[in-house]
Amino acid sequence: MSAVERKGVTTNPGWITRFWAVVEYELLWNIRKKKFIGIVVVAFALATLSLALPVIFSNMSGQQLGRNPDYVVSTGAGIGGLGFFLFAVVTVMNSISGEFESGTIIPLLTKPVSRTIVFLGKVFAAFLTLLSAYAVLFVYMTIGGTIVYGPQNNLHLIPLSLLGSILSTFVWVAIVLAIGSLTKNSMIAALGTFGIFIALSISAPIVSMFSEQAWILTYVPGPGASGYIEGVGSQTPFTPSISVSTGTDSIAANLINYVLHPSSNVTFFKIGGFSPGEPSIVELYVEPLSLVLLRSITVASTYILAFSFISWYAFKRTQVLE
Amino acid sequence: MELAIETRGLTKRYGSLTAVNNLDLKVERNTIHGFLGPNGAGKTTTIKVLVGLLKPDEGTIRVLGQEVCGDRPDARLRMGYMPELPKFPKHLKGWELLDIYGKMYGMGKQERREQIPKLLEIVGLKGRGRDFIGKYSKGMQQRLGIAQALLNEPELIILDEPSLGLDPVGKVEVRELMKEIAKEGVTIFLSSHLLFEVEQICSHVTIIHRGVSLVSDTLQNVSSKLSGLTTLQIEVAKISNSIVNAVKRLPFVSDVSQSGDTLIIELRTRDDVRSQISQEITRAGGVIVSMSYKGQGLEEVFIQLISRSRRGETA
Repeated sequence: MSAVERKGVTTNPGWITRFWAVVEYELLWNIRKKKFIGIVVVAFALATLSLALPVIFSNMSGQQLGRNPDYVVSTGAGIGGLGFFLFAVVTVMNSISGEFESGTIIPLLTKPVSRTIVFLGKVFAAFLTLLSAYAVLFVYMTIGGTIVYGPQNNLHLIPLSLLGSILSTFVWVAIVLAIGSLTKNSMIAALGTFGIFIALSISAPIVSMFSEQAWILTYVPGPGASGYIEGVGSQTPFTPSISVSTGTDSIAANLINYVLHPSSNVTFFKIGGFSPGEPSIVELYVEPLSLVLLRSITVASTYILAFSFISWYAFKRTQVLE
Repeated sequence: MELAIETRGLTKRYGSLTAVNNLDLKVERNTIHGFLGPNGAGKTTTIKVLVGLLKPDEGTIRVLGQEVCGDRPDARLRMGYMPELPKFPKHLKGWELLDIYGKMYGMGKQERREQIPKLLEIVGLKGRGRDFIGKYSKGMQQRLGIAQALLNEPELIILDEPSLGLDPVGKVEVRELMKEIAKEGVTIFLSSHLLFEVEQICSHVTIIHRGVSLVSDTLQNVSSKLSGLTTLQIEVAKISNSIVNAVKRLPFVSDVSQSGDTLIIELRTRDDVRSQISQEITRAGGVIVSMSYKGQGLEEVFIQLISRSRRGETA
């Protein structure tokens, strides 16, 4: 070994330069994670199945598959609540806690980059990672849907759906990051968020179907309270042509519905009892779709900001002992 | 005297345990300063406070003239740091890691392109830069740790056990590298368990125990301060009592004992008195075959200090 030639040309970098360096650091990690590659492969496999199975069944039954010009806009990328949760967990479960567990946080935090920049860089890298994955899935579903169901309507709404899906996913991203920052343990971050997800996924449909207090689901992450749009298609709650959910998982669908039916109202209901024949329905309340949409975006944004603040604060205050 | 590192009353507690206790540390610029202490003495805690990984409970810290306390990224611009057994993201390639760190330091593209291959060659990772760090051995990660600490051409390099995990050749190479870097006016603050390594390359040394600084001075002064006596061993042909008595009479000699043909002389001074002693022996009819100091090496000093500290005595 011989000494490095010293030129002393290093300059004080601006925060944008440092921020982008952190984004690059994190992005390279995200796209090379086996977990992330795995979930993308699974998502593509499921998307392919959802496109191919109707074709296979129609061929087997000898009935021709009908054209559906609204398939892509009503399905989106077909990710849904579980998909949002899984994408969030695999993208950020190691982002902060994993660095502490492996000790890689030490060289990173001793570079001339503030902890706030490191945190923001990691969040932005998660955003870019999810945006890229979802965009590719949306393009895939658009092409596939057009091939299977014929020319599609309202394709200009796809970016809106993409944005809504990202917002829904980021509620879970913020929760995973917050638990990870507080515990410095990736497994607790993933399992803790999974616990919240499962609890809400089980309780939300029960509360929504049987309780008069279903409105409370509007304010928790996940599927939310169920309703349907009046005056559009079927009027039966169990077979609505357009169903609506108030939760943070349904922002993409609510955005599309709002653009297509801006002045419509949403009827929320519960099951009143089980008489012979079919269950009796009790109408709970009616709200404008615009209010449902605005509230789901506000609730999601509030969760994202609140949990992000918790995780930023915990990260900034952390002392690196190991 | 310009200081690269200066702490005053630095105190860091973990609950009821005081890891660093009122530490006053002064590291002069353009020196290689060894930071020694037994396990759990507070070395790594002190270093982590210096680089902003830990926040002190009390005291002030100045690094390269800048006040440092907690997360101060600009203070780290002119500093390089290698942690003990550094860990880097396995998903990155060695070259990518240095490139990203270079961007954080504000290095331009051209500068990075020139600097990174050079650094990889210096630390012995030439040809391995495009491999994923996950494929690196512990020693290779250690070498990468040295490379990233030198990346920004720092004025101050803080190294926590730089030789740990390196093979014997690597240890020698790192020592030589540090000497070379120090020649260019870089201050090196080095924590090490290898006392002979510190002895070989450091000009200054601080020894801490239980978070308290026991001694901090030049290497030479540390040895002198700790012992008023230095031992000189002289092998003499034709040894006799008259030779022993002649040496005993010298004013700076404390005691003389004989072991075969060897005189063991305890000196009261640390001045070089070999010529006076050899004259006296020759005058008394002796013939000197060999002469060597059995001085207080750093290891003896270290053990002596730590033992005293454990007994509750001051240095």
